[in-house]
Amino acid sequence: MNEYIGIAVSFILAGGITALMVGLSSTLGKKHPTSTKLAAFECGKDPFSLPVGRFAIKFYMVGILFILFDVELVFLYPWAVVYGALGFSGLVEIGVFLGILMVGFIYAWDAGALNWK
Amino acid sequence: MMSDLILVVPELILVGMSLVLLLAARRIQGTRVAAFGTVLAAVAAVLGSSWVLSLGAKTGFGGIITLDNYTQFFNVLIAATLALATLLSVKSLEGIPRAEYHALLLLAATGMMIAVSAFDLLVLYLGLELMTLCSYILVGIRVDNPTSNEAALKYFLLGSFASALLIYGISLTYGVTGTTSFATIASTLSGHEAGSNVLLLVAMGLVAAGLAFKIAAVPLHSWAPDAYQGASAPIAAFLAAGSKAVGLAALGRVCLAAYHSEAQALSVVLTGLAGLSIIVGSVIALSQTDMKRMLAYSSISHAGYALLGLIAGTSEGVSAMMTYVFFYVFMTLGTFGIVVALGDRGESVEGYRGLAAQRPGTAMLMLVFLMSLTGIPPTAGFAAKFVVILSVVRGGHIGLAILAVACSVVSAFFYMRVAVNMYMNEAQEPAPSHFPKAVFAALAVAALVTLIGGITPGSLALWAVSP
Repeated sequence: MNEYIGIAVSFILAGGITALMVGLSSTLGKKHPTSTKLAAFECGKDPFSLPVGRFAIKFYMVGILFILFDVELVFLYPWAVVYGALGFSGLVEIGVFLGILMVGFIYAWDAGALNWK
Repeated sequence: MMSDLILVVPELILVGMSLVLLLAARRIQGTRVAAFGTVLAAVAAVLGSSWVLSLGAKTGFGGIITLDNYTQFFNVLIAATLALATLLSVKSLEGIPRAEYHALLLLAATGMMIAVSAFDLLVLYLGLELMTLCSYILVGIRVDNPTSNEAALKYFLLGSFASALLIYGISLTYGVTGTTSFATIASTLSGHEAGSNVLLLVAMGLVAAGLAFKIAAVPLHSWAPDAYQGASAPIAAFLAAGSKAVGLAALGRVCLAAYHSEAQALSVVLTGLAGLSIIVGSVIALSQTDMKRMLAYSSISHAGYALLGLIAGTSEGVSAMMTYVFFYVFMTLGTFGIVVALGDRGESVEGYRGLAAQRPGTAMLMLVFLMSLTGIPPTAGFAAKFVVILSVVRGGHIGLAILAVACSVVSAFFYMRVAVNMYMNEAQEPAPSHFPKAVFAALAVAALVTLIGGITPGSLALWAVSP
């Protein structure tokens, strides 16, 4: 337990000094607010703005499909690691998994989700 | 491994059919092939399940899946819900992608079947998640309908929250017992003194809350009225019947198989859920004017009645719950079926005015279902209420039994208001058009079960055996 006392002391010191300085300047300091002063400062840039520019909805569809198949394919990595131990039944099982994945892919294709128009 | 696969034959049939429907989606959009395939798959799943059970009940996949009489009972119920909801859907599919709709129904039913055959908390969670994820989409599948979208979003947000409760309860249970398997949980807990572990009590409370959401028991009921109102009537029926049956099945299994040594504490939680659901459901339903909202509140109170069976924590109690759920599913599907059959007119309570003069047969069917929901003999609803209230009385909770009977009388007011509208008021709208044969078939099955169940209530007793 003793070795933690130093850490505790430094936390208390750091917290106390920070609180003291911020507290003093906010209670004693003079305040002459202007709209420029009140604005948040961020490297000279306007910190708030609406997302500018528009992009085609088709990117959204591609993004969704990408995430879907990408996440499902991550499953292949652990399978590949233990493939030796699983043997033939492991191959069949991953075949079934990929088959179901393919049904989803074919459905998306069929439904025109991949058409770039 | 291969011999274990036989235990999930009904699930495999449903999944297979849904994959076929997805592959053929573009080709069968305008036809009724999808509906036909779904009903076929439901029938095949029941047959497959019975065949596997006839080889002997057993567990597999390392003890996480079990197929016993309890599983089979609910598999039949889920398949019936799927088939009847599909038949009811025939009328209201304009503008909805049919193949996808039926594929989602099939997958939701698959999730239900996994949940009722689960013998491990994580598999149970997996099944319930599959069911609810499909349900969210089904509720919001009418994309151009703002009410439907709103309902789906509300259902999704509340549902995710409830799932979090459930998974948190599961993780705490794992923390206490070091396992998620029902059998091992039970054997670990039998060494503990009942009620001694606060963490375990919290865990059980959270699991019960997560499952109470699925059956829409008060205070986790607020999603049901919005979801039912926003969804199309067949989907509302599917949720009201299926989700509730599965939630109750899971609760029954968890109470008996996993947390049985803590039955005392669980019965306190269940008593609260049941009492509140019965009162709140019956009282709020009185002021509803939208038919689907009224039925939602009625389903909340029915969830309370079904929970009465679980309070005692005995196998007789669980059998009573099973009987209740069985009859409840058919009378609910029947009532929603009439709502479907009447189209827009069926959506509001006022729409039933003068129906008896215009369509005597439809009005008669509706009267049977309403009487059953109220619990008036000779319908199945009476037999169902009788067995659960009897189990409460045997458990020594006389006060709760009196409350249940009193609220049953209250519920007569809102059910019979529809009946009064049908028989004693003048019609203000033109007679509804005749409904398709598929809807009629579904109504006939529901009415038949409701009547036979009322006349020979003992017929189910041999079959409704708890695990």
